[in-house]
Amino acid sequence: MQRAEAAEYALECQGVTVSFGAVMALREVSVGFPPGRIHAVVGQNGAGKTTFARVAAGLVRPAAGTLRIAGREVTTGAVNAARGAGVELVHQSFALPPSFTVAEAMEFGSTRHGRAPFTRAGLEARWRGHLDSLGVTARLRERVRDLPVESQQAVEIARALVTDARVLILDEPTAVLAPAGIATLFRRLAGLRASGVTVILILHKIREVLEIADTVTVLRGGRLIEGTVAARDIDAQHLAAAIIGSAPPEAATLSEDDRAALVGAGAGHAAGATIAAPAVLALADVSTRPDPEGPALDNVSLAVRAGEIVGVAGVEGNGQRTLVRACAGLADVQQGTITLAGRAATQAAPLARRAAGLRIIPFERNSEGLSLSSTLWENWAVRPLLLAGRLLALIDPARLRAQCDASLRHWDVRFTTTEQTAGSLSGGNAQKVILAREIDASAKVVIAAQPTRGLDVGATAFVWRALREARGRGCGVLLISSDLDELFDISDRIVVMLSGRIAGEFAPPYSLDAIGRAMTGVAR
Amino acid sequence: MNDLIALILGSGTPLVYAAMAGVLAQRAGIWHLGLEGLMIAGACAAVLVTSAAGSLLAGLGVAIAVCVLGSALLWVVIEKLKANPIIAGLGLTGLGLGGTDLAVQAVFDSEATVRSEIGLPRLGAAFGPYAHLSVLVLAMPVVVFALWVLLRRTRFGLQLAACGEHPFAARSVGVSPPRMRLVALLLGGVLCALAGAELALGSLQLFSVGMTAGRGFMAFAAVIFGAGHPVGAAFAALFFSVVEALGIKAQLLLGNALPPDLLLALPYAATVAGVWLSGRLRGGGQSSGAFAELRDY
Repeated sequence: MQRAEAAEYALECQGVTVSFGAVMALREVSVGFPPGRIHAVVGQNGAGKTTFARVAAGLVRPAAGTLRIAGREVTTGAVNAARGAGVELVHQSFALPPSFTVAEAMEFGSTRHGRAPFTRAGLEARWRGHLDSLGVTARLRERVRDLPVESQQAVEIARALVTDARVLILDEPTAVLAPAGIATLFRRLAGLRASGVTVILILHKIREVLEIADTVTVLRGGRLIEGTVAARDIDAQHLAAAIIGSAPPEAATLSEDDRAALVGAGAGHAAGATIAAPAVLALADVSTRPDPEGPALDNVSLAVRAGEIVGVAGVEGNGQRTLVRACAGLADVQQGTITLAGRAATQAAPLARRAAGLRIIPFERNSEGLSLSSTLWENWAVRPLLLAGRLLALIDPARLRAQCDASLRHWDVRFTTTEQTAGSLSGGNAQKVILAREIDASAKVVIAAQPTRGLDVGATAFVWRALREARGRGCGVLLISSDLDELFDISDRIVVMLSGRIAGEFAPPYSLDAIGRAMTGVAR
Repeated sequence: MNDLIALILGSGTPLVYAAMAGVLAQRAGIWHLGLEGLMIAGACAAVLVTSAAGSLLAGLGVAIAVCVLGSALLWVVIEKLKANPIIAGLGLTGLGLGGTDLAVQAVFDSEATVRSEIGLPRLGAAFGPYAHLSVLVLAMPVVVFALWVLLRRTRFGLQLAACGEHPFAARSVGVSPPRMRLVALLLGGVLCALAGAELALGSLQLFSVGMTAGRGFMAFAAVIFGAGHPVGAAFAALFFSVVEALGIKAQLLLGNALPPDLLLALPYAATVAGVWLSGRLRGGGQSSGAFAELRDY
C-alpha cells in the first residue's frame, strides 16, 4: 500500500528544513511531483526556490526531512545519489567550465563509456548523436564561453540529460533569455515531457508559469503555500496573492501598475515626457575600444531628456555594462561625444561627471555600489565627501553621521545605527542606501543598472517609486534592465541593445514581439 | 652541440618533473608554490637514505613518501584549515628548505654537503655523449605524454580541470573538488620526489643545503608560461634550462669579460621575462573560475 502511494511521485520531499546560519531557507516543506508533467515552483526572491532545487539535486543537505525519487528514499545532500536516481539540475547561472568545448562539457559529467582515454574525434562522435536528438545545434568543438547564452543553456540542458535523467529541474531558465529563446526553451521542455521526463521549473513570472506549467507550487518565506495545484485551476490574481501573501507594510502600498508589472500582465502607460525638455545625457556616435569586460559600443547615439525614463532592453551581455562605463567615464571612448547637462563630457574624469550631476546605481550592489565592510555613514558620505573636492580637507564624522541618519530615515532604510556595516543589511535596504546616496537634490541624470535585481516585491516597488519621483523632479533616468515587464511599466521610451549597438527604439504602447525581435536581431 | 643538449637535458629534467607536479595542482585550482620545498625534501631524503642504507630503492621510496606526506600536509592546510594556498605553499617551501638544513646538520653535524656512493642508473655507453644522463631523463618525455593524456584525454582530467576552473560545476555533477585536489597534490608529490632525486642523484650524487636554488619557483613559472598545459610547461622548463646552459657556455667562452654572477642570473631573468611574455600573449586578465565559486550561495 505504502509503495503504491510513494511511486505516484517522480520526486517527493517530506518535512524538508534548511537553514543557513540564522536564516531559515526552507521550513518543513513537504511536496510531491507526479511524473511526466511540467511543474512550476514559484515565489519571490528569497522564498527558497533555489534552495529547494539544490536540495532535490543533492547539492544542499537539509537539516531535517527526507527525499524520495521515484518512490525510493535517497541520501540527502549527496549529488551522486540524486543523479544516480535520475535527478539533474540546470543552474540559473550556468555551471559549465567556460574553457571546455561542448563535447568536453558533455563528457565531464557523464557516467557512461568507462574512464578510458579518448581521442578528440572519438569524443565528438560519442556526443554528436546525443546533441542531435535534443535538437541542439551548437558545434561540438566550440568552447562554452564563446556560445551565445541561448546555446549555452541548451548545452547545459543537454549536459543534464547525458545520464538517463527522469527528473529535470531548471532554476530560473527564462531569466537569461529573450522572448524567442523562451519560446524555443518551452518547446524543448514540452518535447522532454512527451518523452516521459518530469520537468520542474523554478520561475518567478506568473505569465510564463501559466503558459507552460501543468501544476504550480508556491513557496513564500521558505514555507510551502500551494503544493502542485493544477495550473488550470488557478488564475493570475490568485497566484499573485499566493506569492506576495498577506501584505508586508511596503507591499500594501503597491500601486495597481506595480502589481500588474509583477504579474506581467502588461500595464497601461502614463503619458510621455515633454518633447521640448533638453537632453541631460546625450551620446552621439559613441564607440569604445574593445576591452575584456564586455562588447564594445558601436556607434551608439542616445539621448535622455530631463523628466523622462529611458529604458534599455537587451539580452544581458550586449554592451549594457559598457554603456554604463562609458557614461561613467570608465571606458575608453574611441570616437563620438558624450554630453552631460549641456556640456561636453567625453574626456571628463568620473568625478567631474558626478559634479555635473551624474548619479549611478551600479549593476553590482555588493561590489560596485557599497563597501560591505564599511559602515553605513561611510558608504553614504562618499558622495558629499568626493564632491566637496579637496583631498586633504578635514571631515567631521559626527556631522556626516547625523546627515546620513536623516537621509536614510527619509529613504525608509531599516537600520539600527549608522555605525553598522553595509553588509549587515538585506538586499532591499542596501539598495535603498545607494538610492539615498545617488538620488539627491543635485542629481540631473540617474543611471539605474538592474536596480531591482534580487529585491522582493516591496523593495522593488520602492525603487520604481524613487525612479518615478526622480523623473518628476526633472531628472533624466536611464534604466537598464533585463526584466521587460519592469521596462514596459516605467519607461517613457525603450531602446534595445544588441552586440554593442542600439538595435531599435520603441515608444509606448510597447510590443513584446517587436522588442523581442530587436533583442535577438531577427529581421522584421 | 651534443654536450650542450646533454647539459640542457640534465639540468632541465628536474625542472620538468617539478613543473608537471605544478601543472597537476594548477589544473585542480591550486597555485603550487610549495614545489621548491618538496623538491629539496625529495633530494635530501633520496641522498641521505640512499647513502645510509646503501640502497637506491630505499632512497627513492623514502623520498616519495616524504614528498607525498608534505603534499598531504599542504592539502590539509589548504582544504581543512582553509589557508590561502599561496601562503601555504610558501610555508611548505620554507619548511622544506629549513627542514633539510636541520636534517643534514642533525645527522652530519656541521657538514653542508652529503655524498652518496650510489646514483640513479645511467643510460650507459650505448647512448654516446648522453651516457652519463640518468634513466629519469629518458623517462621524462614519457611522463609528460602520460600526463597530457591523463589531463586532456580522460574524464578524470576534465573533472580535475572543472575543479580548478569552476568548482561549482564540478560539485553539480557529484565531483568533490577537495578530493580531486588531494589526488592532484599527492600525484604531484611523487613527481616532486623524482625531481629532487634527479637533481641530487642524477649526475652529482650529492646533496647540499639549498641546492634547489629556486628551481621549484622556476618550475612554477614554467607552469604559468605553459598555461597549465603539460607539454607547454615542459617546453617552458626546458627553455629555462637552455638559457641556463647558454649562460654556462658563455662563461666558459668569455672568461671574466662579463661578471659571472650576471650570467648565472640569466635563467632567472628569462623566467621573469617568460612569465611576463605569457601574460601578454594571453591578453592578461583571464577571469579565473574562482569567481564562480563565490556565487555558490
